[in-house]
Amino acid sequence: MFRSTSAGKTVTSAALLACIALLSACAGGPEGPTPIASAPASIASDALVGRWGLAAYHRDSDRPRTEAEAKRQCNNPYVITRGPNGGVIMHLADVPEPQELVLKGGPGGVNFLGPPGPPGMPEDREVFAVSDKSFSVKWVSPENSSRYGRMIYVRCA
Amino acid sequence: MRRPSLTLQNPILRRLLLVSACLVAVPAAMSMLGANAAQDEMQIDDQPGYVPNPTDEHLEGPLERQVVFFRTTEPPGSIVVHTSERFLYLVQENNRAMRYGIGVGRDGFQWAGQHKISRKQEWPDWRPPPEMIERQPYLPRFMAGGPGNPMGARALYIGQTIYRIHGTNQPQTIGHAVSSGCFRLVNGDIIDLYERVPVGTRIVVKQAPSL
Repeated sequence: MFRSTSAGKTVTSAALLACIALLSACAGGPEGPTPIASAPASIASDALVGRWGLAAYHRDSDRPRTEAEAKRQCNNPYVITRGPNGGVIMHLADVPEPQELVLKGGPGGVNFLGPPGPPGMPEDREVFAVSDKSFSVKWVSPENSSRYGRMIYVRCA
Repeated sequence: MRRPSLTLQNPILRRLLLVSACLVAVPAAMSMLGANAAQDEMQIDDQPGYVPNPTDEHLEGPLERQVVFFRTTEPPGSIVVHTSERFLYLVQENNRAMRYGIGVGRDGFQWAGQHKISRKQEWPDWRPPPEMIERQPYLPRFMAGGPGNPMGARALYIGQTIYRIHGTNQPQTIGHAVSSGCFRLVNGDIIDLYERVPVGTRIVVKQAPSL
């Protein structure tokens, strides 16, 4: 007949504790990839503030004439204003109410514009080809990208 | 002296009653026509970037592209648009026409008359109407043409007007009145029509008769 000794009880307790610790390690912590930390963007928010002619294209070959058309859209400009927290007031795709968006630096020096949070979120757009007179964006979300293509903002006089 | 009769046998009274009835009925009828037109309009916004399922672009029944008997005084090669019927006819010889199902935008109900096709364009550009931009301020004011563009695969421009015959990425709007655009065909049909008609083709637009 088996007798339970004090040493046996100690081993059993230790094993039980080890299992609990192992299960805790498995169950705890966030799922998915680790979020990319946001670095400062290389573009200042003020560079986006103003009145812009807004146009879009899907094929790269259409970019030059789309830029010319954007200039003609200043009769109904898209207006970007300063936000209260250092960002800019703009619209997300398919959201009629404007909100404050922030510029975020991503890997490789890429600049993103979107709600506060890690760079490259689905709601974000990548900002590129920035100058005094214009800037362009491409949507991170494939669905937004298929709907709206790449968008060019040309500064209105 | 004989007093005039005030019964319905009195011809003057009958005429007065008839005129009064018309004065009441005509505005009422026109109001009803206007209300029916508004009720008939399909409530759907343009959907930039939406690419329809190819099976949805295949129309069936009366709206399917087909040769029909069509008697007209317009010469072969002319386009005749009957907005109330939602059909576009390309007149052929021997009282025949190629008939296409169409959707009619508000612009398409604004005028009637004769014009010529002034130019043609493949994958035309899209400019959302101002009221659409007011509802959806994030929209671009111009979108270059391509698959998924609300203007569809081809456009035929009418004279020097803003009106045009164009494709669509919303095949479900064919046969209906819609808010935007002019005359729209499914992409397969507008490509077919585009290949058949040269610049300079005569186009006649006919609206429903009104009082």
